[in-house]
Amino acid sequence: MSAVVENHDHHDDHHGPKKGLMRWLKTTNHKDIGTLYLWFAFAAFLLGGAFAMGIRAELFEPGLQLMDPIRYNQLVTMHGLIMIFGGVMPAFVGLANWLIPLQIGAPDMAMPRMNNLSFWLLPVAFGILLSTAFMEGGLPGFGWTFYAPLSTNYPNVAYFVFAIHIMGASSIMGSINVIVTIMNMRAPGMTLMKMPLFVWSWLITAYLLIAVMPVLAGAVTMLLMDAYFGTSFFDAAGGGDPVLFQHVFWFFGHPEVYIMILPAFGITSHIISTFSRKPLFGHSSMVYAMVSIAVLSFVVWAHHMFTVGMPLVAELFFMWATMLIAIPTGVKVFNWCATIFKGSITYETPMLFAIAFVVLFTIGGFSGLMLAITPADFQYHDTYFVVAHFHYVLVPGSVFSIMAAVYYWLPKWTGNMYDEKMGRLHFWLSFIGVNITFFPQHFVGLAGMPRRYADYALQFAEWNAVSSVGAFLFGLSQLLFLYIVVKTVFAGKKATPQVWDGADGLEWTVDSPAPYHTFDVPPKVK
Amino acid sequence: MSNGPLKNKVFVSLLGAVTFMFFFSFMLVPLYNVFCEVTGLNGKIYGPSDFFKKNNETYERQVNIRFLSTVNGSAPVTFYPSETNLEVMTDKVSRTSYIATNNTNKKLTLSIVPSVSPGLAAENVKKIQCFCFSEQTLEPYETQEWPVRFYVDSELSENVNNVYLSYTLFEKEREEMLAVNHEH
Repeated sequence: MSAVVENHDHHDDHHGPKKGLMRWLKTTNHKDIGTLYLWFAFAAFLLGGAFAMGIRAELFEPGLQLMDPIRYNQLVTMHGLIMIFGGVMPAFVGLANWLIPLQIGAPDMAMPRMNNLSFWLLPVAFGILLSTAFMEGGLPGFGWTFYAPLSTNYPNVAYFVFAIHIMGASSIMGSINVIVTIMNMRAPGMTLMKMPLFVWSWLITAYLLIAVMPVLAGAVTMLLMDAYFGTSFFDAAGGGDPVLFQHVFWFFGHPEVYIMILPAFGITSHIISTFSRKPLFGHSSMVYAMVSIAVLSFVVWAHHMFTVGMPLVAELFFMWATMLIAIPTGVKVFNWCATIFKGSITYETPMLFAIAFVVLFTIGGFSGLMLAITPADFQYHDTYFVVAHFHYVLVPGSVFSIMAAVYYWLPKWTGNMYDEKMGRLHFWLSFIGVNITFFPQHFVGLAGMPRRYADYALQFAEWNAVSSVGAFLFGLSQLLFLYIVVKTVFAGKKATPQVWDGADGLEWTVDSPAPYHTFDVPPKVK
Repeated sequence: MSNGPLKNKVFVSLLGAVTFMFFFSFMLVPLYNVFCEVTGLNGKIYGPSDFFKKNNETYERQVNIRFLSTVNGSAPVTFYPSETNLEVMTDKVSRTSYIATNNTNKKLTLSIVPSVSPGLAAENVKKIQCFCFSEQTLEPYETQEWPVRFYVDSELSENVNNVYLSYTLFEKEREEMLAVNHEH
């Protein structure tokens, strides 16, 4: 009996992927789904980037040149929504799909069909969201934070709500899949504390997603009911409270921003260790730091709304709780520095992106600490200082880590080495572009330039022009990234299974490119 | 796949967590209201008050009450307090009024939401009669005077000498439109 089963398995193992479009529509293979997610995220990154170019073009000089303020608000809103829900989050889910089974020695994700569904819901959700562009009333223009009651009085809000529902369902299914896979399908001998840090970071991220995506679903449901069914959750006329919306939204929103950075911590840990040719300094302290950051993320939400008129004691609590997060984050930054210290360092493209991540993410962290100081926040609130802060942690933070991950694992995915010279050129253009774009926004923010306006006072003109030039440089250099990736998929120096001589982990024990089916027999981990 | 039952257990408990968190987001609404009511934060006032329930041992003093009005959005109503400022003794009932005029040729249904600043003084401002307790209607071009009877109890913090009583007027337009839609 068992012999028959084994023969059958044997047969299964060696049939490759289907041909043509149906392979991608019906695939249940974690590598295919990872690829789909990554390409989807790349497309969203370019689309959201195109919106950002529109924003920066309008802000290149004071006055209204290219669009009216309503169009501008729509661009800002869609830039935020697409980059967060279509770019950064799917990119991390794509990396999770590709890497978690390879790193824990599992043959696939635990629920492959649900995996397929959670990917294909995403194009549906974004199709619904973008379809409003062709309707009367147009795209949503109330900001990605959709504060009520502005959003409840907006046209086409129902499309936005349903799109968020579907994205949320997709994220929740993805996270359940990640947790079930990690909990049940690790190779024998791989205890939780032996798990690679990328896997750890995703385990924690998945728990955060499961805790807060339903709250987002609840918030948009209340919004929908206020807009169409006559309830008054957030409508003061009927006894509701607009401030309640901010509480519910940021109860989701703050863990959400850590959802977008924790996997980056995992990626950076792998890359820095590989190119320093040293084991990561403080593996278990990294795990505890991530767990503490995740737990703290649930008790700091009101620092996004210091100016709504909270009592002093609440402002003090949220200020101190927020500052507390600097401690585990500091542990991580010091651990990365300690890993680099006295290492045999080489500066391949992934390492360049990872080092830039550590430096620039820390700058974003410092401006975050400034924002956490309640009295100072009354000055910074809703200025470009906030814009500079969260773009520093998201662009040279999350996005750089995703680019680092792509360069680092691309040889494993495609079997080809990318062009190192081109990669470094892409890095330096991006690094210079991102700093020229966002550093001046600190200055105009401190000088009082408010967010979310299509126009600004004359004294901000110079720095805004500089910022726009940087944004165009950064935006254009991403086309180079696209070219490098596409070129690597089709050609390049053949990669060895090990790829990087300092790399350590189960994914480097399989061939490059990774075969369609890996770890049918679980590896033993010592 | 190995660990079938265990996998199911993890899956089901995660599904439970998702369901719980969805309903938890709705639980935040009553939790928030209870929290605000208990702590007296955010200046919300909850319904009419019982008159003189407490002992009279606390001393009386003078407090300055300022009256504010806001018309929400573009409601076609003129709405203002008949006096902007009143010196009152604590625990003594005072009377003032607001004036509202309908500037349209349609009948309007209005709701008026009160708010007290500083927020912590909200529980000390007791209303006995207020136009905010129920919806108000204005006939076309009608002007009404809406009385408020209130007192400030003497448990008001000694640090507070000025209390702002603010009313925001909302047009109950959307409900009417929905009702019209249902009829057709």
